[in-house]
Amino acid sequence: MASSTMKVNIVASDRPLWTGEAKSVSIPASEGGMGLLPDHEPILTVIDKGTISAVDVDGNRHSFEVTDGFASFDSNSLTVAVETGVDTKKDPTATAD
Amino acid sequence: MASQLGLKSRINSTTSLGKIFNAQEMIASSHIAKARTVALNAKPYSDAIFDAVQALAAHTDIDHPIVKSTEKNPRVAVLALTSDRGMAGAYTSSIIRETESLLTRLDKEGKQPLLYVYGRRGVSYYRYRNRKIAATWEGNTDQPGAEIAREIADRLLGDYMKTAAQGGVSELYIIFTEFVNMVVQKVRVLRMLPVELVRNGDQKAGSATGTEQGAGVPSTIDQAGTDAAAVVQDDDTSPLYAFEPSVDKVLDAILPKYVQSRIHECLLTAAASETASRQNAMHTATDNANNLIDSLTRQLNASRQASITQELTEIISSADALNKEEE
Repeated sequence: MASSTMKVNIVASDRPLWTGEAKSVSIPASEGGMGLLPDHEPILTVIDKGTISAVDVDGNRHSFEVTDGFASFDSNSLTVAVETGVDTKKDPTATAD
Repeated sequence: MASQLGLKSRINSTTSLGKIFNAQEMIASSHIAKARTVALNAKPYSDAIFDAVQALAAHTDIDHPIVKSTEKNPRVAVLALTSDRGMAGAYTSSIIRETESLLTRLDKEGKQPLLYVYGRRGVSYYRYRNRKIAATWEGNTDQPGAEIAREIADRLLGDYMKTAAQGGVSELYIIFTEFVNMVVQKVRVLRMLPVELVRNGDQKAGSATGTEQGAGVPSTIDQAGTDAAAVVQDDDTSPLYAFEPSVDKVLDAILPKYVQSRIHECLLTAAASETASRQNAMHTATDNANNLIDSLTRQLNASRQASITQELTEIISSADALNKEEE
């Protein structure tokens, strides 16, 4: 039974960035951008500098500029740990500058 | 008996010292709260790294230089975490005492310890004694950020990854103060490198999956997020992780971060201990100053009364003498 959301926990080395339920998350994996939907297979991947964006249950997009780190997905819960990250506060698709 | 003027000036100076101690104590206690939030904020990250390393350890047979030292090398690194400023009681001196005994022990074991020092007090202690220090860091020992942790970790990992011929080290010890509670802080020696992994899976399953995983991971760059279920089948009960780009690459990326976050943890607990021991020291100093003021005030009163008594005696006796003359 596929669930429609997954737990997401994004942490930087000095503080937690965002925690919540999300419908989808995209991360800048080292081999190229990767999209994760609920019930993804367990994966542990290295991520590069880039933007993480998560779409929460209400359809709002949260995006973060991050430096290198890694992401692990296991039992419908995604943990992204990065060196540093800043909340970009805006929708990257709307304001691409 | 000391002069009244002297006593008065001593009381004044002790009062102002007491004020300074009191202020330092209040500053320290406000920093404690901050240090606690910083440590709390850094915890999710170190937890995430720890979980990932656990997953890796359970899943693969890690054969990485960070976990196993490959060559015989007598040189070992010793990192002492001291404070930048004084007024923290025995904080730095207990670290230095522990460092000295560790260095002696390593010497006896036939190893050549290289000293790394963090904190101005420790640096000046060893500089003054003309001891050879491999590297030093100063600044912000009471609120270390992730940057300084990265700097220290980069340098130490760099030295660790070098071969013996290049001047590398084979082990890394950290001496830091563990924050137990506000009153108790313990000096601890931790062997940071090579990393000791606690694996919960049994050895057999680990070594079997190790080879399979490296070759068998399909590259799942799935923008749509479709479940690529074709991961290596294996009868182990641990979650079947897919590693991207490969197990080795993931290890290369995560293990240094793991070490860095452990070092950061040490820095944070050391900072909390420093602040706590500064608060304790300043509290004792304030109490001592108040006791000193009390006893000085008592002496002052006694000497004032003595001088009044003496004056009275002089007046009365001179009046008596005058009366006698008139008779």
